[in-house]
Amino acid sequence: MVDPFGLPTKDSLGRVLIVDDEADVRKAANLALTKAGYQVLEAENGERGIEILNSEDNPFEMDLIICDIRMPKINGIEAISYFRSNYPTLPVIVLTGFPDVEMATSLLKQGVTDYLVKPVEREKLTLAVANAIEKRRRGFSD
Amino acid sequence: MNHVFPKGIPAFFLKGGKRVPGQPVKIAILGGGRGGSDLLEVLTRSAGTEILGIADKDPNAPGLRRARELNIPVMDNVVSLISNDEADLIIDVTGDPAMEQLISERKAPGVEVLGGSAARLLWYVVQHDAHMHNQLLQAEKLATIGTFTSGIAHEINNPLYFIMGLAEDMGDEEDLAVIRGHARSIVLGVQRISTIVKGLTGYTRVTSAEDLSNVELNSKLDEAVRLAQYATVLNDIVVVRGYTACPMIKAKPEEIVQLFVNLITNAVQAMDGKGTLSLSTHCENNTVTVSISDTGPGISKGLINKIYDPFFTTKEPGKGTGLGLHIVQTIVRRYGGQISVASEEGKGAAFQLQFPRSGSGL
Repeated sequence: MVDPFGLPTKDSLGRVLIVDDEADVRKAANLALTKAGYQVLEAENGERGIEILNSEDNPFEMDLIICDIRMPKINGIEAISYFRSNYPTLPVIVLTGFPDVEMATSLLKQGVTDYLVKPVEREKLTLAVANAIEKRRRGFSD
Repeated sequence: MNHVFPKGIPAFFLKGGKRVPGQPVKIAILGGGRGGSDLLEVLTRSAGTEILGIADKDPNAPGLRRARELNIPVMDNVVSLISNDEADLIIDVTGDPAMEQLISERKAPGVEVLGGSAARLLWYVVQHDAHMHNQLLQAEKLATIGTFTSGIAHEINNPLYFIMGLAEDMGDEEDLAVIRGHARSIVLGVQRISTIVKGLTGYTRVTSAEDLSNVELNSKLDEAVRLAQYATVLNDIVVVRGYTACPMIKAKPEEIVQLFVNLITNAVQAMDGKGTLSLSTHCENNTVTVSISDTGPGISKGLINKIYDPFFTTKEPGKGTGLGLHIVQTIVRRYGGQISVASEEGKGAAFQLQFPRSGSGL
């Protein structure tokens, strides 16, 4: 978690929301990120992800969203649109099983911070997460 | 598909140049050996022809068996078929030299005859057509699976990620219980991927020549849904099932799955991965009816007559083979069935298939 001045607070390196309809995928990401020192919340679809985000008193409490594209009930693309327009300072990383250059380009244009393809190694994931949160922190101090 | 006449042999070629529009050409087939059987296949695929009957001295001839499955009248008395005055054309593929004499003696006046060398030529053409057609069916299956690549990648990459994550975690884990738990989960992940691969290879394998069996349609619909889920990136489709326990039909199971995969894939793609797919079966008397409908954009009136044409497609190039519905119609006709579609622009499409139940031709 980072405080409004961009300094990490003592509980963790940051709070990450992982949105994916597969429990196995959420578990794999959770294992990697928790070991790396992040606090992880899980949502099984876009709708639930939006619920969790909106239930936070202070939207700055969430530092990053990791989201898949292919999900039922508000698919990833719609969810990502929602996150980007309602929480523009909250970085989004796409984690998908479907490597598509066209889609990646269009998502990156929409302001998604990174586009990762499963299966992704821990190091790659944690590096992408660290970079995204670092960018956000710098955004605050500008 | 007949390459010279994709829509079937035009009626005016068969009725001595005198065109009789609207009336199918009525054909009597003599000879139920290999020649008769393949001829039946080609003619049932062709619009504008009606087979009055097929006859052979041997009641167990393959052509006669096939005819019974297609509800075509079968006779073991060749003479009564020859003298049938409803026929427009008699095709003699018996290979029996005495047949020519018998036909000219007993046929009704005005009936045309295709025999001798002409029939032999027809036989070669039909063999070629039958062979090409089977190649086409197989090619279409492979092409369809090709269009599923991104969906398949997604389905396999998810469990792969799970396996990777667990394995990486095990690498620096000391707690034996956790390690064992991860190991068990990895095995499950592998099995999941294996199931996906089996589904795909099961679908693409080449079916052997004479594999007709009793096919239960509800389970084939479910099998097709599992494969068609790979057709789109988004997967927000509600599947509504209204199945009835119905009699089985006589068919090659793989072809029935192929036909359902095509219809369901079309529905899923029309809805762009989001909407309601309704599948239902019901039966009455001797037929089994399957309905497949979607909540997509529907088919416009102007296009609805073209949808079964080979290579007709409204999809962008590279997305889909354009053969799906042609194959569907081919397979339906092959098993003596009928297909119809109800659709309006903006209101989705509903396909209805009717098949004769197994054993109803006997």
